[in-house]
Amino acid sequence: MILNYSQPLEVTNLTSWLDSTLRGSLSEFWVLLIEFVIVGALLLAAYAVIALILIYAERKITAFFQARFGPNRVGKWGLLQSVADMIKILLKEIVKINRSDRFLFFAAPFFMIVASMLTFGAIPFGKALHAIDFNIGVLYVTAVSSLGIIGVLLAGWSSNNKYSMIGAMRSGAQFVSYELSAGFALMTIVVLAGTMQFSTMIEGQRYCWNIFNGHISSMIAFVIYLISGHAETNRGPFDLPEAESELTAGYHTEYSGLQFGFYYLAEYLNMFIIASIATTVFLGGYLPIQVKGWVDFNGIMDYIPSYVWFFGKTAVLIFLSLWVRWSFPRLRIDQLLNLEWKYLLPINLVNIVLMVILVLTGLTLTDLLPGIF
Amino acid sequence: MRIDQRNKKTFDIYNIMENIKKLILNTVPTAVIEEKQKLTVTVTFDKLHLLAKTLKENAALPFDFLVKLIGVDRGEELGVNYLLCSSTDLSKELVLKTGTTDRENPLLYSITDLFETAQYNEREVFALLGIRFINNPDMRKFFLNADWVGYPLRKDYDANPELNPLSLESVDMIDIAPRITENEKGELVEDTVNIFGEDDYIINIGPQHPSTHGVMHFRTALDGEIVKKIDVHSGYIHRGIEKLSESLTYPQILHFTDRLDYLSANINRHGLCMAVEKAAEIEVPERAQYIRTIMDELNRIDSHLLAWACQTNDLGATTAFIYGMREREIILDIFEKTCGGRLIINQNVVGGVMFDIYNEFQKDVKSFIIYMRDKLKEYDRFFSHNVIALGRMVTIGVLSKEDAINYAVTGPAGRGSGWSCDIRKHIPYALYDKVDFKEIIRTEGDSYARYLNRLDEIEESLHIIEQLIDNVPEGDICAKVKPIIRLPEGEYYSRVEACRGEFGVFIESRGDKFPYRLKFRSPSMALVSAMPLICQNEKVSDFIGIGGSMDYVIPDIDR
Amino acid sequence: MRSIAKYFSGLFIGISSLLKGMSVTWRELWTKKVTQQYPENRDTLVISDRFRCELVMPHDENNEHACTACGICQMNCPNGTIVVTSQMIETEDGKKKKILDTHQWDLGMCTFCNLCVITCPSDAIKFENTYENAVFTRSKLVQKINHEGSKLREKKKEVKPVEAKPVVEAKPVVEKKAVEEVKPEEPKAE
Repeated sequence: MILNYSQPLEVTNLTSWLDSTLRGSLSEFWVLLIEFVIVGALLLAAYAVIALILIYAERKITAFFQARFGPNRVGKWGLLQSVADMIKILLKEIVKINRSDRFLFFAAPFFMIVASMLTFGAIPFGKALHAIDFNIGVLYVTAVSSLGIIGVLLAGWSSNNKYSMIGAMRSGAQFVSYELSAGFALMTIVVLAGTMQFSTMIEGQRYCWNIFNGHISSMIAFVIYLISGHAETNRGPFDLPEAESELTAGYHTEYSGLQFGFYYLAEYLNMFIIASIATTVFLGGYLPIQVKGWVDFNGIMDYIPSYVWFFGKTAVLIFLSLWVRWSFPRLRIDQLLNLEWKYLLPINLVNIVLMVILVLTGLTLTDLLPGIF
Repeated sequence: MRIDQRNKKTFDIYNIMENIKKLILNTVPTAVIEEKQKLTVTVTFDKLHLLAKTLKENAALPFDFLVKLIGVDRGEELGVNYLLCSSTDLSKELVLKTGTTDRENPLLYSITDLFETAQYNEREVFALLGIRFINNPDMRKFFLNADWVGYPLRKDYDANPELNPLSLESVDMIDIAPRITENEKGELVEDTVNIFGEDDYIINIGPQHPSTHGVMHFRTALDGEIVKKIDVHSGYIHRGIEKLSESLTYPQILHFTDRLDYLSANINRHGLCMAVEKAAEIEVPERAQYIRTIMDELNRIDSHLLAWACQTNDLGATTAFIYGMREREIILDIFEKTCGGRLIINQNVVGGVMFDIYNEFQKDVKSFIIYMRDKLKEYDRFFSHNVIALGRMVTIGVLSKEDAINYAVTGPAGRGSGWSCDIRKHIPYALYDKVDFKEIIRTEGDSYARYLNRLDEIEESLHIIEQLIDNVPEGDICAKVKPIIRLPEGEYYSRVEACRGEFGVFIESRGDKFPYRLKFRSPSMALVSAMPLICQNEKVSDFIGIGGSMDYVIPDIDR
Repeated sequence: MRSIAKYFSGLFIGISSLLKGMSVTWRELWTKKVTQQYPENRDTLVISDRFRCELVMPHDENNEHACTACGICQMNCPNGTIVVTSQMIETEDGKKKKILDTHQWDLGMCTFCNLCVITCPSDAIKFENTYENAVFTRSKLVQKINHEGSKLREKKKEVKPVEAKPVVEAKPVVEKKAVEEVKPEEPKAE
């Protein structure tokens, strides 16, 4: 089914060619080692590049929301702005803070970046662009992405700064709360899809994305996942841990240079990760739009490479996240917790039950209208 | 018919004031009552508290609003003038004067227990004139460091920079306040109070902080996220404008007023011009009055837009901030075309205005009015009903009407607490008695009331401008004024409605071309003095939001 | 029951208010951007004629100005921005006459209050709207605004103010003295 049409732009051919060439001349151990190194390097590079693109995109889109132009001096339309920023941040001095807990202070950014890197590795970017395909992919992603909070808490604690401390504590409360909702929203879809493995989950969405398949229940889960995912990334209106107008910069007030850069990168990457998981779980991942029976249409859609579909869908979600961020004022800590514990969590629990009922009684779209979906 | 009414009204006022005079003489038989520009009552320092109390508590016309507290070095004696007025009718004014001849250890009685706003003012007087106030609970110097040598506003002050050298050392904050109290036996006791408790978790919000709107310093004791106590430190950008003014001529002083509350620059300047014009009996041409009024209202819109923008920014909505600034830019362009300045617009001079309006002025202003009305609707859609914003403003930072009067909080904040305190209505100046406008009053007293008040006042200002813009008469823009302005000996007051509340000017002239003493009443100081009260038991993020809703401007406090 | 209704109505009112806000930003996304593209827009940038940027002393084609070195601008300046130095020369007909040596103005100190311009009896100085005044050192902010080798323009009209001012000239300039003639500037024709 998957390879019905020839896709010259897919990277499947490239990867299988590389694998077979290596296997032709080397032993199993060396083949795997070389492949691991290549995959690791590519992921790291992608991590940096995606972050740079996101930073540029956010600044530009924000500016357009605010009747400004945004960066437009470095390069054509300011395209090189984030590269310039990166170079600047690499060259900046890393300030040592007196009376801070040195070791933890230096370790904290790594927790943040490692957590987001681990999650990043498990995302299916396209056909054959999936570094590791666990059978418990969803669980893995939820688990490792929540490691990042340790970095935030450590940063706030070790800086020996009262603003940072308040920011970190807020972040802790926020993360613990919203991780629940995000997890439950994903579980709702796991109920629907019947699997935790990303690849199987994507394959199941060939003609009917999960967001449509579970209709009401999926929609609710999707919105809740977006909200709580957005909250987990510490971005406005949930940017209380940073809250520049209250806590100057919150937990990373004392960081400078590359250490600050780590937090900065991780923030943008987390936004990407949330959007890409939402894409994978709800919007059919890297699969193109397909309609049962429309062979020609499906052929044309299939001709567009899978990674374009993936990044396109993710970009729409990221735009949504930016739109929300730049429209609303910041929540207060009690409002934030109210939203989670009084609204999102109860709705979520009811929603899971609803989804179970839908699946068991055969009320999902694929069951109801098997001819179309 | 109308004349009759007015006569009756004048008669009533006369009657009431006669009664007040009787009351004063009954309370303090030794009081000296003079009819100057304002009714002035001089009493000895030990009788002042009694008199102020009687005046505040009399039922017929309570003088419960302390407008200004002015310390004056009268040469022989160090004294204080209190301008009191009634909160129900701001035009009923009364000046109390007292003083002490002891220049070594001047002591007066505090009236902080009657008027909360007196506290910061008395601390200011202590810093600048060295008068200590008995029973003031906190007698630290306001504006100045505790170790400052000399009292700047005294006439014998030694301004030698070696006495107060610039220090680059970090100085620890002292949270111990000296005070001087009188016990039941009538003995004076000097002791100290700790501002904070032993285990208080204190964070410094300011002097360098993105949301203090200037160089303000709030030492804040927190209990988790909740504000327990706030201690205000001010004076980081104190420029000694009042002292500087004592050696400058009146036209030269004018340019300082733009630099007090720079967002209501034109209105401040209007206030000082009015004080000088009243004293020198200069008639301002009608065209100048029109231009002044229009420019004042434009200035008010400009200020309220910025206040709206900053408040939204304080609540975390950066986009709204940019929208506010964008609209404000149009007013600044109009200012630039009219008088060559954008923020410091430098328009009023004694006797009129410096620049006439330009040819396209009417057209520009009219198109702005249409544009602004449209944008007000957009603000309403965008922010005023946003559920997050409502949660951050409604019932947050409630200031009751009594407290508003007690802390002398005027302007949109005072009117948000249900206190009608618009000088434009109570004591109309310029053309405000000829135009029709509503005084916006809300009774909730919370951040949201102050927020809405500002937006509604923008609408009212647009309405005022609309009525005037087509009727600007031909004629001079400035009266003939002598090259050197010498004010006759006396004390002159003027009060105008600036964007943040009542701005006042006090000039004591000794017949010279320089003022003997010049004092500005800063509306922002009253706003800040109420902050510790209304922020108590709110969350620390709401502290920032309330600050945005009070909208104080620091250079106005640090004169 | 009522509390449940309140719960849901609160939820939906909240969501609708948020969507309303988002609709505003969506519309603004497509509006005209207002940022001034300086310095690319230098040619089209309109700075108001009255905008006060730089104090200048207009010179005519003969390199002549109207300043009589009376020092009134210096006396009126609230913060000592202007320093006028003059010298005594003897004219051909033997009269002693004071002429302008340097008229020095400190951009870094000026508060642009316009007092010097409105009090100048011979309209010799004015504020120009040349706004690009940034320099690399502070000392460059102190400018001599009369041109090299310039002279006083001889005009009958100006004889009067020159003679009317000797009293002022006799006084030391250190003492701040206001000689203000509020002379409203005529609106410049646009």
